[in-house]
Amino acid sequence: MTAMHETRKSTGVAVPPPHMHAPVEAGTELEEKVSVRHVDFFYGDNRALKDISVPLYARMVTAFIGPSGCGKSTLLRTLNRIYDLYPNQRAEGEVLLDGKNILSPKQDLNLLRARIGMVFQKPTPFPMSIYENIAFGVRLYERLGKSDLDLRVEQGLRRAALWDEVKDQLSANGLSLSGGQQQRLCIARTVAVKPEVILLDEPCSALDPISTAKIEELIDELKDDYTIAIVTHNMQQAARVSDFTAFMYLGELAEFGTTSKMFTAPSDRRTQDYITGRFG
Amino acid sequence: MSKLYARRRARNFILMSLSIGATVVGLGWLVLVLGALLWNGFTSLSLQVFTEMTPPPGSAGGLLNPIVGSLIMTGLAVAIGTPVGILAGTYMAEYGRYAKISMVVRFINDILLSAPSIVVGLFVYEVVVRPMGHFSGLAGAVALAIIVVPVVVRTTEDMLMLVPKELREAATALGVPRAYVIAHVAYRAARAGIITGILLAVARISGETAPLLFTSLNNQFFSADLNAPMPSLPVVIFQFAMSPYQDWQNLAWAGALIITFAVLALSIAARALASRNIQ
Repeated sequence: MTAMHETRKSTGVAVPPPHMHAPVEAGTELEEKVSVRHVDFFYGDNRALKDISVPLYARMVTAFIGPSGCGKSTLLRTLNRIYDLYPNQRAEGEVLLDGKNILSPKQDLNLLRARIGMVFQKPTPFPMSIYENIAFGVRLYERLGKSDLDLRVEQGLRRAALWDEVKDQLSANGLSLSGGQQQRLCIARTVAVKPEVILLDEPCSALDPISTAKIEELIDELKDDYTIAIVTHNMQQAARVSDFTAFMYLGELAEFGTTSKMFTAPSDRRTQDYITGRFG
Repeated sequence: MSKLYARRRARNFILMSLSIGATVVGLGWLVLVLGALLWNGFTSLSLQVFTEMTPPPGSAGGLLNPIVGSLIMTGLAVAIGTPVGILAGTYMAEYGRYAKISMVVRFINDILLSAPSIVVGLFVYEVVVRPMGHFSGLAGAVALAIIVVPVVVRTTEDMLMLVPKELREAATALGVPRAYVIAHVAYRAARAGIITGILLAVARISGETAPLLFTSLNNQFFSADLNAPMPSLPVVIFQFAMSPYQDWQNLAWAGALIITFAVLALSIAARALASRNIQ
């Protein structure tokens, strides 16, 4: 352990992980889909986020990294206001979605959540058939005929790279699938309601490497149409899938920048220490 | 073998003997009760029991009218008590999970859950039978419904509490309104447990005698009129078993056997459902 510490320290700069995502080219037009502005978050009296300001660019993947308890998931949970389910949890500041503040009390929460989808750490298929898992959310917002609905279910499953595995058992219970399949079902379900932003809260932490690879591929494809934010503990994953990376530490945003810069030349000492594995 | 070890073995032997003894004594009585019930019940059981009315002393007859009366009152009690119980349990587990009032309701519900059923009977006597001026099947059903409610409230709340919060969050994150999350996701996840609770409530009320003595009373004849006194198996068993007539006593045994088997069947069904829920 100490030996590894020493060698890492001597290199000074973080070594870029092997499969680095293609960097965002200079001059790419960036459109701020979501702007987090001076957001504080409280669990009761405990301030979990401190004056966070960070953008989510349209059709880009933004990774949130940082040690456990630094507020990554809390920030994600602020963006679709899922925290509203619980009393004693509140956010202050502004989160603009296409320029409109979603933290405003006037915001219709169901419509907001239909626009900003979320996939959780633990796969959570609903206790119903695979088909119904996907059709359930779609039906709430669109009146579709049987054939149109069938098509939407198929599209959702295809997008989540699950179609070929389940097309012959659409009426089987969603809970009968394997963990990796369940997680892809959850992604299919989220994509099927056609959100604009997708939040992924450690989507691969409960999955084996093959399922993880499938989901990472999927993220890469989805980014053509969606704005994606992903929380991950896996540094390689952040480097592989994201265009931008935000490093959070003790409820603060320590550093934000393009993934290529964050992993090669971080300007904050803490980012560098975390990425090189000195703590976290 | 050391002395210490020998002493430990002796202690183990004593404790094991006591445990086995206690089990034999406890189960022994149960076996005796069931044995007497089966012996006397089966010897009194015949097709007549299910097809004929309760007889006057000294003549042949059956238990058709109390069986039907029990079914009507139990069915009505479940029809009244279940929706109330499920909705109240839903409020406490879903909408009012963090509200103070839920704690108060839970506390009162627990008292009601363990309230002696004769108190429920007296209560219904005061609020239904006295104003109506006579005993009735309706009053009996109301009394039984009051016993059903707390059981269903409790199981509904417990089962909904067991639904993982991740499932609720996942549905909410799709933009699903709260009522839909509850109806389509939470209820579905808790369904087997809630049904088990209802079956146990039915099992509980199908043997209740005390609340019916003050409310539906009894009826020598067939009656499906809710506005008139209605016979029921427990009350008929009570009356016939206390009588000096052999025919009546035999019918009481048959009735006891019928109730026991009905409750046993419900318990098995409830257990089967519950174990399916776990898988």
